[in-house]
Amino acid sequence: MTGTDPFTIPPEVAFETRYDVAIIGSGVSGALIAKSLAARGLRVIVVEAGPGEDVTIADYTKSVERFYSAVSKDNNAPYAHSRNAPMPRDYDAVKLHDGQPNDRGYLVQNGPFEIDSTYSRVLGGTTRHWEAKALRMLPDDFRMQSAFGRGRDWPIGYDDLAPDYIRAERELGVSGNVEDQGYGGLTFEDGYVYPMKRMPPSFLDKTMAKDLDGLEVTVGDETFSLNVRSTPQARNGIPNAAYDGGKGFTPTGAVSIHQAEMGERCQGNTNCVPICPVQAKYDARRTLLAAMDTGHVHLLPRTVAARVEIDSTTGRVTGVTCKTYANKDAPGHITGTLNATTYVLAANAVENARLMLASDLHGSSNLMGRNLMDHAYLLTWGLMPQVVGTGRGPLCTSGIEDIRTGAYRSHHAAVRFSIHNDGWGWATGAPYTDLADLVDARNLTGIALRNALIDRVGRQLLLDCMIEVLPEESNRISVDPRHLDQMGNPRPVVSFDIPDYTLETVAFSRRLTRRIYQRLGAEDHSHYTPSAPGWVTHDGEGFTVRGGNHWAGTHIMGTHAKTSVVDATQRSWDHDNLYLAGAGSMPSIGTANTTLTLAALCLRTADAIAHDLAPGTAAPSASTRREGVSA
Amino acid sequence: MSLFQITDLAGLHHHLEAAMQLEHATIPPYLTALYSIRPGSNTEAFDIIRAVAVEEMLHLTLVANLLNAVGGTPDLTTAGFVATYPAMLPDGEEDFAVDCQKFSPEAIETFLRIERPADLNHRQQGGKTVTRQKVAGAVTAGHTGAATEEHFFSIGEFYKAIEDGLDRLYADIGDALFSGDPARQIGPEYYYSGGGGLIEVTDMASAKAALDLIAEQGEGVTDTIFDEDGEIAHYYRFQQLVLGRYYQQGDARDAPTGGPVPVDWSAVYPIKTNARLDDFPMGSDLRNAAESFNRTYATFLDRLTRAFRGAPEQFIPAVGDMFHIKELFYRIMRQPIGDASDLHGAPTFEIDRSTEKTA
Repeated sequence: MTGTDPFTIPPEVAFETRYDVAIIGSGVSGALIAKSLAARGLRVIVVEAGPGEDVTIADYTKSVERFYSAVSKDNNAPYAHSRNAPMPRDYDAVKLHDGQPNDRGYLVQNGPFEIDSTYSRVLGGTTRHWEAKALRMLPDDFRMQSAFGRGRDWPIGYDDLAPDYIRAERELGVSGNVEDQGYGGLTFEDGYVYPMKRMPPSFLDKTMAKDLDGLEVTVGDETFSLNVRSTPQARNGIPNAAYDGGKGFTPTGAVSIHQAEMGERCQGNTNCVPICPVQAKYDARRTLLAAMDTGHVHLLPRTVAARVEIDSTTGRVTGVTCKTYANKDAPGHITGTLNATTYVLAANAVENARLMLASDLHGSSNLMGRNLMDHAYLLTWGLMPQVVGTGRGPLCTSGIEDIRTGAYRSHHAAVRFSIHNDGWGWATGAPYTDLADLVDARNLTGIALRNALIDRVGRQLLLDCMIEVLPEESNRISVDPRHLDQMGNPRPVVSFDIPDYTLETVAFSRRLTRRIYQRLGAEDHSHYTPSAPGWVTHDGEGFTVRGGNHWAGTHIMGTHAKTSVVDATQRSWDHDNLYLAGAGSMPSIGTANTTLTLAALCLRTADAIAHDLAPGTAAPSASTRREGVSA
Repeated sequence: MSLFQITDLAGLHHHLEAAMQLEHATIPPYLTALYSIRPGSNTEAFDIIRAVAVEEMLHLTLVANLLNAVGGTPDLTTAGFVATYPAMLPDGEEDFAVDCQKFSPEAIETFLRIERPADLNHRQQGGKTVTRQKVAGAVTAGHTGAATEEHFFSIGEFYKAIEDGLDRLYADIGDALFSGDPARQIGPEYYYSGGGGLIEVTDMASAKAALDLIAEQGEGVTDTIFDEDGEIAHYYRFQQLVLGRYYQQGDARDAPTGGPVPVDWSAVYPIKTNARLDDFPMGSDLRNAAESFNRTYATFLDRLTRAFRGAPEQFIPAVGDMFHIKELFYRIMRQPIGDASDLHGAPTFEIDRSTEKTA
């Protein structure tokens, strides 16, 4: 694979090349699998729907500047929107009326719940805008049906996945303290430390811990003692010299196809979402560029997978038909078919399902696209009695994890809480809305304005309640020939409702956070309006529930072709040279952000593919170290 | 090679103190050029200069580790520690003037002289060593005596003299040379970037490793473009701005073949070169900001001094200081001085005036 710049391979050449593995999607799933397979000598092509430009510091700086100058600071604000590969925007979620679907954005929302979750169709996928929380799922999360009679069991347990969690934590570069993770049955290998030390707790964290640590909460028949604990996250901190038996850890900073020396430890800029200005946050470009350094990987950007072609006799995939555009907005594309021995769909839970359904592949279980999950977020916000330094540090450095599992899960959903260092932004649009209010409504200027802003913004606390949603077949992604994008590809149609199991915990979380605000001496400013999208009611009380961008479950993993879409290695039951990779495979998402777990799953998938295609090759070193200079 | 030899511990301490001052002397010119770039423009140049400036801070810390290791006491707060610009740096037979000036071809030319590898110098200068009069305003690097003293062709040779001195003293007294408190060593947890890390100095091997790292990254003594870790030396890094291309592995000197490095010399604040407080009217926001800058920078140096004297946790608030410094850079550089020149202000780095009473 020499003689061609792997970043600018002409589509015609890609379509004429026979690869070992074709991967649809350059996000964390695709990048991890590509890197692992390329390190074992397999020839890989990675297809990215977005423009695929962000491989230099100059490109990245452009994204940062685009974010700074954007009026709407939504999740995709830093990234160039492409009409040929459109992205969902949270502001496209609007209140649904009279059963009319909302098709104003890329997603077609059928309701009844209006979900404001998004994803990014750019190089590196949604890790470009993720927050980088890297919590492990709990052992109970893997056995929901057998432990609580709810949801589904995984075909593997926590102990099976634990070694892959270790590998994933290395690949992503996780900062955390194992001692803070002693709750909910979590176990770690003896002597294990995270690659880097925890993000230092913020002043807000410490202030809250003083009042909250030891607070006893009774849920069902159990009493839990709450503690403010540091949150593991894939963000560069201080490397832990004790990591890897004393070998330590070398963080990866900024990536570029040219020299890149930026990207050091987190500086606390507090705009991790949607873009870290100093590249302290992991995004999948790190893994992807390391994969491409092997010389075994081609990248084909501006290319949307349109159809998975199947041999009707064997059920095997014979190719993936793709459309490559030249201009991100102008109509027009060329069509070609990728050829490989093994195919991996790694385009995220929504896009994987959309592509399969657009290919008329519903699965022998008929579960393709079903069991859609996301976390349901209830936001609560208040003003602390003193200035607490809002706006410093990464978005969250600590949370409350103690009630992430318990016998109560037979009756209602699990929950964890994140303490936000960025104030009310998520809930109210602060600090911009505060500024507008102080100027327009209170007519403040000069020093009075500055002092009022410090008082208003500097005391803001936002406590989010991240609530589990279990798989239900009626929550789903589907396609509809009436809703096509500019290229003629069907757009994802979302049908979603928040189950009662989750709503019960929404109400519980509101009661508990009221208690927490009282204990903190904070003014509780949380309020929810029926006219907002995401309005739900429970026992006469109303709330606004927000999405978490943690799309999952659309090609759910199980033990049998009749009851699931993929096996424990994410291999399709119906098409034995096809893997559907990512959070779509997860049978539950507990109260952990999905990325770390899907990363662990994808490392297993890479092992399974390599076992078939390159037997005898050892798993590559898990190091994510990328030298500052491209070879 | 130098005629001068380090023969006792006091001489070694003096040279290491001078080395700290020398390492620091590069930082104001680099930061001034860096922040004179209008935000959002010249992204490649910004990254290149920034990377070098960060590594000068690494070098400063490595020298502090060396000084601590041999029983010295780092002090960045002593009067005269911060050079007066234009500062004179050693380079061949004549010292040369280093200005705090905007990002410009002249600035890059100066940076190339600062970072020119020793062997290039030697070839050009004929390998001679001279003894001559001290230049007024020179930083003390390469000038350890009063009026007439030894002189080094380059910063690389200056470090070579330190290495020779270490060897000589080690031959005399052995491991007793490393009498410093190991608790004062700054470890790798406090620094990292794309290349190179902090080395704790506790013995001869680690002392040599620290010196090697300084030499490899910049002020080089060899002509290799990349070191064995794939990191590019400062001289060649800056040269990319002149040649308009990135170097990549396998390239020959002066002939980089990597991606383009576009430069827009006009997307720069038109700041006054070597600005002084007295250039700014008393009571103006520019004057206040420039005074605030000097105070903030003094605080920063004081914090570093404490960090190097056994309180490394001081590096954490020092990060906050660096943000303040950056904000003040922009606040000052955005403002025209208001005289007939159309020039904008710039930090003056008159740190010794930071304790003056303001009007």
